[in-house]
Amino acid sequence: MSTSRPTPFGASASVATPLLWRWQSTAFALVAGIAAAATSRDLASAFVAAALVAGGVVLDRMRAAREARSRQASAAFLASTDRLGHDVLPVWAAHIENSRQQMETAVAALTQRFAGIVDRLDQTLRTSGQGDDKGLSAAFAHSNDELRGVLDSLKDAMASNAAMHAEVQNLSRFVAELQQMAAEVADIAQQTNLLAINAAIEAAHAGVEGRGFAVLAQEVRKLSALSGATGQRMAEKVGVIGEAIRVARDAAQASARREAASALASEGAINGVLDRFRGVTQAMEASTAELKQESAGIQVEIVEALVQLQFQDRVSQRMTHVRHNIERLPDLLSASRRTFDASGALAPVDADGLLGELEGSYAMADERATHAAGAPKAAPQAAAAELEEVTFF
Amino acid sequence: MAKTIMIVDDSASLRQVVGISLRSAGYDVLEGSDGADALKKLTGQKVHLIISDVNMPNMDGISMVKEIKKLPAYKFTPIVMLTTESADGKKAEGQAAGAKAWMLKPFNPPQLLAVVQKLVLP
Repeated sequence: MSTSRPTPFGASASVATPLLWRWQSTAFALVAGIAAAATSRDLASAFVAAALVAGGVVLDRMRAAREARSRQASAAFLASTDRLGHDVLPVWAAHIENSRQQMETAVAALTQRFAGIVDRLDQTLRTSGQGDDKGLSAAFAHSNDELRGVLDSLKDAMASNAAMHAEVQNLSRFVAELQQMAAEVADIAQQTNLLAINAAIEAAHAGVEGRGFAVLAQEVRKLSALSGATGQRMAEKVGVIGEAIRVARDAAQASARREAASALASEGAINGVLDRFRGVTQAMEASTAELKQESAGIQVEIVEALVQLQFQDRVSQRMTHVRHNIERLPDLLSASRRTFDASGALAPVDADGLLGELEGSYAMADERATHAAGAPKAAPQAAAAELEEVTFF
Repeated sequence: MAKTIMIVDDSASLRQVVGISLRSAGYDVLEGSDGADALKKLTGQKVHLIISDVNMPNMDGISMVKEIKKLPAYKFTPIVMLTTESADGKKAEGQAAGAKAWMLKPFNPPQLLAVVQKLVLP
């Protein structure tokens, strides 16, 4: 059985115990002295000896009471550290783990969204790249050709109308000639009639011998009348045709003027549209080029941001290592308490061992640097962001 | 036809960052959340390179490399360890297991792509 006794300070009572034994030995010697003094009837000595014995006993009991209180305090202290280990530290560890998980979830979601943005930008750039910068210019050139073709068709149609108008003008000239010819026919008929009359007169002068000639002259007069009527009708018809041609010519002239005005307006409108289209096209090309440049820049920025998000992996590992170390402490505290309960001795927690386990769990150089520095002030913040070397095997 | 690269990491965000870098360079990407998950997903398809973390749950990266080297279809697939683990002893373990390169996080995409282009199977 051990002679040491526990104290509230964690060390054994190796100093107090000899004192106690000394008191007990002294008391034993004094009791023997009292007995000897009483035997020899030395009452004064016996009284002093008895007083010393009584005082020693009282001091001895006071010390025992103090030691009992100290042991109770030690037990209470160990119970509190045990509770710290089983009730408080798991909560700390849970908070660390929850924070780590929340950070991981948030960073993963953030990364996912950034990744989506990068993908969409990539697709947009690819799509705009398929059209190429020449796409809008080509569309403009094609539209320009098409509309110029329409204008050319319009001008061709106008040229055809002008040719037709010239033909109608020519017809007017023929009408005048026809009218002249009809007048000449009428004149010939009139002269023929005069000749027939004269022939009839001469036939009458000839008497019986001129009777046959008179009949002939009569028939010639009839033909002359018919020719005159025909010439008259021809003149009338030519007049109608001439009027129709004049109306047609006037209509053609009016139409030509309208078409010319319309063609001019169309050309102006088409040129205006093409000019605006060209302006829009050039603006769009400039915007597209700027958009592509900006998109590419944003993509690069996002990728850079994603690279920076790797801090989450490093922080997560650090938190996991610390949490595991915290989770080890409750068992150590419980072991210390069990030792006290079993032997009454206070067993110190192995802080060096715990630190050693923590250090052994490190993966990153900056973790080790932080550990070596031993205080947050020396935490190498810049080291976490530095890019590392590659080792090829 | 695009080459396929597998990225194995228990951090989803890191898998995404690596995935973006590789996809933007024209590679197809397979993902595994740890060593065991990666082995489950290696079902005989052609994989031109594997990039793996070291410290992972269920099966760590170095154990995974050892297992992959036992698979005939992936025996010669180059493996790059991409990790925060900087201890020389761990690097030596990775080399002994059959890894081709050891790259420390954080990485930057051009650096990663340079390593990939150097090691990826033709």
